[in-house]
Amino acid sequence: MSNQSCITISKITKKYKNSATNALNEVDFEINDGEIFGLLGPNGAGKTTLLSILCGLVKASGGGATIFGHSINDNPERVKRILGVVPQDIALYPTLSGRDNLMFIGRMYGLSGAVLKNRVDECLDKFGFDTNANNQVKHYSGGMKRRINLIGGILHKPKILLLDEPTVGMDVQTRTSIIEHLRQINENEKMTIIYTSHYMEQAELFCNRIAIMDKGRILCLGTPQELMIKEERADLEEVFLKLTGRKIRD
Amino acid sequence: MLRLIATFIKEFKILIVDRTGITVLFIMPVLLVFIMTLIQHEAYKSLTQSGIPVLLVNKDNDSLGLAIEKGFSKSSICELTIDKGAQYKTTADIKKKMVDGKFVIALVIPENATNALRNDVEGIMKRLFDKNAAIASDTGKVNIEVVVDPTANRSFIMAITSGLKEYIASIKTKVLFQIMGEKIGKLMNIDQKVNMPDQDFFVYKEEYALREGKTFYQPNAVQHNIPAWAIFSIFFIVLPLGGSIIGERSEGLFIRMRTFPGSYLSILSGKLFVYFLVAILQFSIIMALGKFILPLLGLPVLDIGSHPVALITLTVSLSLAAISYGLLVGTIFDTPQQSAVFGGISILIMSALGGIWVPLNIMPHFMQTISSFSPLNWALLGYYELFIKGGDWHAIQYQVMKLFIFFVSALLISYRVYKFKTRLN
Ligand SMILES: Nc1ncnc2c1ncn2[C@@H]1O[C@H](COP(=O)(O)OP(=O)(O)OP(=O)(O)O)[C@@H](O)[C@H]1O
Ligand SMILES: [Mg+2]
Repeated sequence: MSNQSCITISKITKKYKNSATNALNEVDFEINDGEIFGLLGPNGAGKTTLLSILCGLVKASGGGATIFGHSINDNPERVKRILGVVPQDIALYPTLSGRDNLMFIGRMYGLSGAVLKNRVDECLDKFGFDTNANNQVKHYSGGMKRRINLIGGILHKPKILLLDEPTVGMDVQTRTSIIEHLRQINENEKMTIIYTSHYMEQAELFCNRIAIMDKGRILCLGTPQELMIKEERADLEEVFLKLTGRKIRD
Repeated sequence: MLRLIATFIKEFKILIVDRTGITVLFIMPVLLVFIMTLIQHEAYKSLTQSGIPVLLVNKDNDSLGLAIEKGFSKSSICELTIDKGAQYKTTADIKKKMVDGKFVIALVIPENATNALRNDVEGIMKRLFDKNAAIASDTGKVNIEVVVDPTANRSFIMAITSGLKEYIASIKTKVLFQIMGEKIGKLMNIDQKVNMPDQDFFVYKEEYALREGKTFYQPNAVQHNIPAWAIFSIFFIVLPLGGSIIGERSEGLFIRMRTFPGSYLSILSGKLFVYFLVAILQFSIIMALGKFILPLLGLPVLDIGSHPVALITLTVSLSLAAISYGLLVGTIFDTPQQSAVFGGISILIMSALGGIWVPLNIMPHFMQTISSFSPLNWALLGYYELFIKGGDWHAIQYQVMKLFIFFVSALLISYRVYKFKTRLN
């Protein structure tokens, strides 16, 4: 992990057309090359919106970002090739097998032939699939779908991986193993990982740095230890509650 | 190119496990063609081929009876059974057979009908020369009995009875002239019998309106139903295609699609290409059905004309129009249910208007005007040109053009709608 930044976010503001308030308000920070960065925040904080802007799904109303020097506004095609994206919703064809879904995604990123096949086999194996990879996705458990969904984002070995709540709805075993795989990928393939989550403990253990956001603003940013010391709390969940309050979001 | 292949493989694999899709695209058309062709074949047959079963009981066996016999046996609309009064002695005998469905109409020419006719004519002649001659009471009446199946088509009965009247009138004229000739000969002392030529003065000749130099094609159930249901089935692509487009837009997949490098439109083209091939395959299957399978059931062999390039051009434009319609429906609606209901019903309406179910020429005039707005109608008219009237490229160019304009317009509208829908973010 270096301290060189790979993503520079400068004053991104987003106001959805049919909404009165800003989903993002002048969000401004940097993500370092090779780190695992956690984006935490209550429902509606703007996490998904921020990731969507980075990968070109949503246009920022103001501000911008550069990814390895490429502006997301001016050069979205170049940026798309650098990124791997794992959508929050399952983005798979239910009547295709897990393997066929991955073959399709791999081809869409320009992989083909033996390279594609080997990469798909390798990833399936790493994430605990065997012959069940050939069954239709609609018969999978929630956890299996999430794992295939996740593999779809890393097949083409992106330099940066964006994960929106990758472990939601998984049991502890699956969650732990997924996080372990992601850590390995981060180390072996030098892949920067940006992920959003509602699991504080997991984030505390897994992330190099964390940003807590609410109502479209970054409230604090640093390593988990730095945040706990600064806010004088014993764990990240306490820090989170102190900063974002106990009120339920709508 | 790789992206196109990727989409192609993906769509293909999705389609082959989609039971509903396969049923709608391939099984339903085959059943429709079978059922509709066989049903309508009976109707066409009774109209054009073996004719209406008619019983003629000829007890007269003289000029009148023979003239009627001859007249009906020459006619193409009826299948004539002649009895000289041996088998069918009474009306009850006839009715019994008719109830069993043996005949639709029966004519009984009574004994001595010709003599009665002759007496009648002679009576007229007498009065012509002798004002005081008494009017013969009942001698001149000939009672021809007509027994009719009450379920029979009125127009068949009309055709038979008017034929009957025509033969009687011609025989009456002939007898009139014969007797008059004899009388005049007697008056002028010329002992010569006038022999009336036994030929019709008016000869009817049926001709078919065909393009110059084209051979005659008998329009039949096969020539109408095969192209009609092929068109219908190809347009039914709107169901699986619309559903597939909507599914890809709603299941989170759309997010993934748009994070892929390159535009979503290239992925969409791959999908449309698969459905284009599906349309061509559907068409080929139905044509093969008409050429090879239906003849095994005793139906006429499908004739696809002799202009393969025109046929391919027409079929390609039809397929393009159908997939662009599927794209449009899939783009406008947001749930698969909406698209299936609207898509299905709109195809049913357009097909009814387009003359798929009922041939156009029996529709009221204002309906025929409306049907010229149905793309299914454009395609059908094109196939009629090729399959029935023996036309070539020139005969179908306007239909092809209309289908192509429909295709391009549907693409453009879909693009505008798509842009509008994704602009909100
Ligand atoms: N397409 C949209 N149109 C209008 N408003 C939107 C849209 N997407 C999100 N919003 C609004 O923007 C705000 C931020 O939403 P976002 O989905 O980014 O939150 P989040 O942090 O990902 O929440 P969660 O933890 O529930 O996933 C919310 O108020 C949400 O209602
Ligand atoms: Mg979210």
